[in-house]
Amino acid sequence: MSSIVVHLDHLTKQYNKSVIPAVSDLSLEIPEGSVFGLLGPNGAGKSTTVMMVCGLMVPDSGFVTVLGENMVTNGLEVRNKIGVAPQEIALFPGLTAFENLFYFGRMYGLPTRVIKSQIEKHLATFGLSDKAGKIVSTFSGGMKRRLNLIAALLHKPRLIILDEPTAGVDVQSRSMVLSFLENLKSEGTTVIYSSHLLEEAERICSHVGIIDEGRLLTAGTLAAVAGSHPDCKNLEELFLKLTGKNIRD
Amino acid sequence: MALIFLMPLALVIVMALVQDAPFRDYQEIQLDVVLVDQDADSLSANIKKAFGASRNVNLVLLTDTVEAMERVRSGEFKAAIIIPKDASGRLRKKTQQMITNVFSNFGLGSGELDTTKLPTINVTILFDPAIKANYQQTLAGIIEKIMASVQTKWVLEELQNELQDGNTSAEKIDIDLSQVFQINRRYAGEAINDGVMLNSVQHNVPAWTMFAMFFILYPLAGNFIKEREEGSMLRLRLISGSQFPVIAGKFSFYFTVCLFQFLMMIAVGVFVMPLLGLNRLVLGDQAGLILLTASCVAMAATGYGMLIAVYFRTAQQALSFGSISVVILSAIGGVWVPVYVMPGILQTLSLFSPMSWGLESFNDLFLRQASLVTVMPNLVRLAGFALITGSASVFIHKARTVV
Repeated sequence: MSSIVVHLDHLTKQYNKSVIPAVSDLSLEIPEGSVFGLLGPNGAGKSTTVMMVCGLMVPDSGFVTVLGENMVTNGLEVRNKIGVAPQEIALFPGLTAFENLFYFGRMYGLPTRVIKSQIEKHLATFGLSDKAGKIVSTFSGGMKRRLNLIAALLHKPRLIILDEPTAGVDVQSRSMVLSFLENLKSEGTTVIYSSHLLEEAERICSHVGIIDEGRLLTAGTLAAVAGSHPDCKNLEELFLKLTGKNIRD
Repeated sequence: MALIFLMPLALVIVMALVQDAPFRDYQEIQLDVVLVDQDADSLSANIKKAFGASRNVNLVLLTDTVEAMERVRSGEFKAAIIIPKDASGRLRKKTQQMITNVFSNFGLGSGELDTTKLPTINVTILFDPAIKANYQQTLAGIIEKIMASVQTKWVLEELQNELQDGNTSAEKIDIDLSQVFQINRRYAGEAINDGVMLNSVQHNVPAWTMFAMFFILYPLAGNFIKEREEGSMLRLRLISGSQFPVIAGKFSFYFTVCLFQFLMMIAVGVFVMPLLGLNRLVLGDQAGLILLTASCVAMAATGYGMLIAVYFRTAQQALSFGSISVVILSAIGGVWVPVYVMPGILQTLSLFSPMSWGLESFNDLFLRQASLVTVMPNLVRLAGFALITGSASVFIHKARTVV
């Protein structure tokens, strides 16, 4: 039986000026080696949950345990074992692709030799080898998104958190990213994949959790979740059944 | 690079040049002064002799009062001294009357008081409306001093005249009043370099250096906010997990830049200013304390810049507020003009300006050969300011940063 990499225990988080909590009494477990799709409509609390898992936000109540460490008290201990590709592009636009990655690698404390080899490997994987010396501000949206993902992989993390990794990218880039994630899955790396693109989740996720209005509606393996709603033909139908069809702004 | 280093160098050089004249007091400035001598006698001769020996006044002789007035009004000359006709004669008569009456009062001489009303001697000084008040006072003071000196001499002569009256065997003696007393001027303190005083370079180099150091907020805040807006700061947070390394890293870098600015501008004061005809910056012999003071100023400047960077949400807000606040702090801190010439309320406000603390410390070290004990209070204030602003910036950054 695989170990639990991420354990969320009755998490609650309410923003200061908000009437309802962004995350309300959320509990779930993410097993090692799984690709966990954290799904939900706009404003469901996905990003808030991701930030608490990353350690960027402190929950109002509850616990976040990642790789056995409490993220509030011992977050720094596991920082080097988590790789995060946030929804916004978190790069230095004035530096080249290589300079960005090298800088981040140094911040992770990696030796120069390792950084260079990782950069070379991932740039090749994502088709950016010939762009290593180009300034990031000249990149297309898809290229930036891929580079954003590479920055999360340099230090060979045990847990990778991806927040909308294919948002706004071209079809080819999207395909490349999804192929990469499928490979990760086969290598046993644990991935949290936050998105509202259900067909992607259905393609690559082994486990899913659907949240809405801060609450967990369902979670488990893709097969188990689908099996609990046999009337739904696919993940999209199940999602709409659980969250409703009202538009969320 | 130009913004951080070259512009401050240009600033300190220009300000030192611009303020060189205002910093020189009347003893170094040559004034062109007209003398209209309608007296042509002893009094005017004494005035001409006194100004002739002065290196600060260039006396030009005219005969027409109207012409003198017009040329002063136009600004061609700074002042005109008009000695009226028969001024010497009237002064002599007044002196004679005084002595006669003193003797008569004591039953000496003729024994009768002379109550004749003699007209006042009006020496007129016309000033250029643009002339500084202290120059006016100085010129008027010189004239009064000369007239008093002449009168004193004539009093002594009249005394001798009265005493000699009837005593033909005694001869009058010439009394030299110049050896009665003299004023010795020197600077306080034993180890002061001769001739060192607060001149344009001595004031402007440390003052504008600090101004430039506090303007580090421009690249600091601009860069910080840009990284926040672009998202690269998010990456740094994700890696480090804490606000402190991000803030500390930036603090260290900009602190070092500030120190380099300081060293460069001091070098300009020592090596470049003399080439421009200005005084050489005198540093004294407290190199270690100077560096310590510069470090404290750099910390204060960087801390303030960090606070501006994290508090304001946009670069426009940060840079507008930051630049104006630095100008205000510099004005009340004595950067523009020395604190002691400011109105009382500003002198009080200057107590709260970190630039005032820094400038006072530099003056103590450069001019007064102060020890650590003397400058320590200001250094503590500067370090405290850095600690407060730096801590506040970490706290605010943490509180404001959700992602």
